[in-house]
Amino acid sequence: MKRIEPLSWLFMFISLPLILLLTLPLIKMTFEPSVEMLIETIRDKDVVNAIARSICLSLFAGLLAFAMGTPLAYLLARKNIIGKRIIEGIIDLPIMIPHPVVGIAILSLAGRNHPIGRFLSDVGIQIMGTKTGIVCVLLFVGLPFYVNTVKAGFESVPIRLENASRTLGAGAFTTFMRITFPLTWRHMILGIIMCTARAISEFGAVVIVAYHPMTAPVMIYERFTAYGLKYSQPIAVWLILISFILFVILRMLSRSIDR
Amino acid sequence: MTDSVNKIMIHLKNINLTLPSFALKDINLDIQKNDFFSIIGPTGSGKSVLLEGIMGLIPFSSGNLILENNDITTLAVEKRNLAIVYQDFALFPHLDVTQNIFYGVPYHKISKQTAQKRFDSLVSTLGLEKITKRHPKNLSGGEKQRVALARSLIFNPTVLLLDEPLSALDPNFHEEAKQLLKKIHDELEITIIMVSHNFSDVLYLANRGAIIKNGSIMQQGEIVSIFERPNSKFTASFVGMKNIHPICKKNGKMIIKENDIKIILAHELCNTDENMGIRPEDISLKAFTSDKFENCFQGKIKKITSNEIFLNIYLQTQNFQFAAIWPRQAVTEC
Repeated sequence: MKRIEPLSWLFMFISLPLILLLTLPLIKMTFEPSVEMLIETIRDKDVVNAIARSICLSLFAGLLAFAMGTPLAYLLARKNIIGKRIIEGIIDLPIMIPHPVVGIAILSLAGRNHPIGRFLSDVGIQIMGTKTGIVCVLLFVGLPFYVNTVKAGFESVPIRLENASRTLGAGAFTTFMRITFPLTWRHMILGIIMCTARAISEFGAVVIVAYHPMTAPVMIYERFTAYGLKYSQPIAVWLILISFILFVILRMLSRSIDR
Repeated sequence: MTDSVNKIMIHLKNINLTLPSFALKDINLDIQKNDFFSIIGPTGSGKSVLLEGIMGLIPFSSGNLILENNDITTLAVEKRNLAIVYQDFALFPHLDVTQNIFYGVPYHKISKQTAQKRFDSLVSTLGLEKITKRHPKNLSGGEKQRVALARSLIFNPTVLLLDEPLSALDPNFHEEAKQLLKKIHDELEITIIMVSHNFSDVLYLANRGAIIKNGSIMQQGEIVSIFERPNSKFTASFVGMKNIHPICKKNGKMIIKENDIKIILAHELCNTDENMGIRPEDISLKAFTSDKFENCFQGKIKKITSNEIFLNIYLQTQNFQFAAIWPRQAVTEC
């Protein structure tokens, strides 16, 4: 049997409180509501709508990140564009700044007092209190996770493979589609999963931009403030369960395609 | 004159290329049709950069690249009809051997039947029959190289560029790969430009070449001529010359400047002051002195080092040292 070194024991001992901090509250919350309570909660149309809205809008934000973030990630990985470090810093900003600030910033830009807000309003796009607004916020907070993951994917593909493709007669776009994309699509799936996961959990920015239509985290907060812990917990449990199943399916799907 | 111009496949005219930490300076080269041309130089001399510049992967800062009388200096990489085989072969890991070989076919005007014929012929010539369905991760170094060659040759490129094709190979495959490259050049009558730092490989494969140092061409021409008549100390030591010393004419006789030793040269000097180099393998050892031999000196063996097959012998004569290489067996007999 392999002997565990004393240093490993020490590190495990130090790590244990962290693991407990992460798992205990979640385990406690997941097993606290009774089965009857869980069934009753899932029969509530508002709860189902809020969870579905959270998941669908988050997935949509993940797909938007895929469509718009992939070219950005490629540029950052491959090209020496001017201000590259500054752009990388800007992309990481949503991870650092408090999320209510994100909501306030988006609202101030989309309000009627701002030219962009007036323009959006003129072309019929409403941000405040709409699904569009929610998607904007979710994309804002999830984008760093997508861009950074996919950028690492592009960086892992040797530039020599792209050069070899070009020398064999393929143009830049064909090279991207035939070489770079097939070698990085798993990073893209992972990026979508991470972006979606981050978006599902978003509360602070969403509550400012769109209290209604209600997403699951906002509903959990509303039930908690209006009725207490007992009524908010089952929604949280369902959100965790459904999200967990969704992500497991996505990961399994990506592995089976790879085979 | 017209004939030689028509025979020129690639002409590099006053090429300059500036990178943040390196520059190619005023490169002028002529590579003729069906040449096996080698760009030779130590690591960091700029030979691979020059190759990527010819390929169009790095733009030249100034100068012209003429391919078969057409200026292709600014032509896109994919339109040059040149092919490159990289040192690490750069096979596409998600495609099998067949898919790798066929990769470039759709971008060249080749019919399906012609492509299939070429594929069959290349697979047979390069001995790839048993591995056509394998992925690169399941191939040996030698197999990878043969697949990379087939991938490049299937669309019949005007020139094949090889970036250190032998250096990443297992010593067992090295000789086999050398023979294969020779065979490809002889049978397909293709122009090849090969980058290498190993002069013995170059001597076997190439007919013409250029020596590059710090981004500048030091000497170009027939490989044999570079080998026998290096024009600088650097080239001389790079092609294996040792015993390099300045010589000059004194009272009508050639002497080694530092030691006043009289020598008889195989050819006349072009300049009054030149360097002389003697290959260590050209020095013979005799246990006696004789006036019958030219350039015969009496001396003592100062040091012998061994590399199993050869002995490096350091001889001291008239305040002057020679380095010689001799087979172990020959020394025993001597």
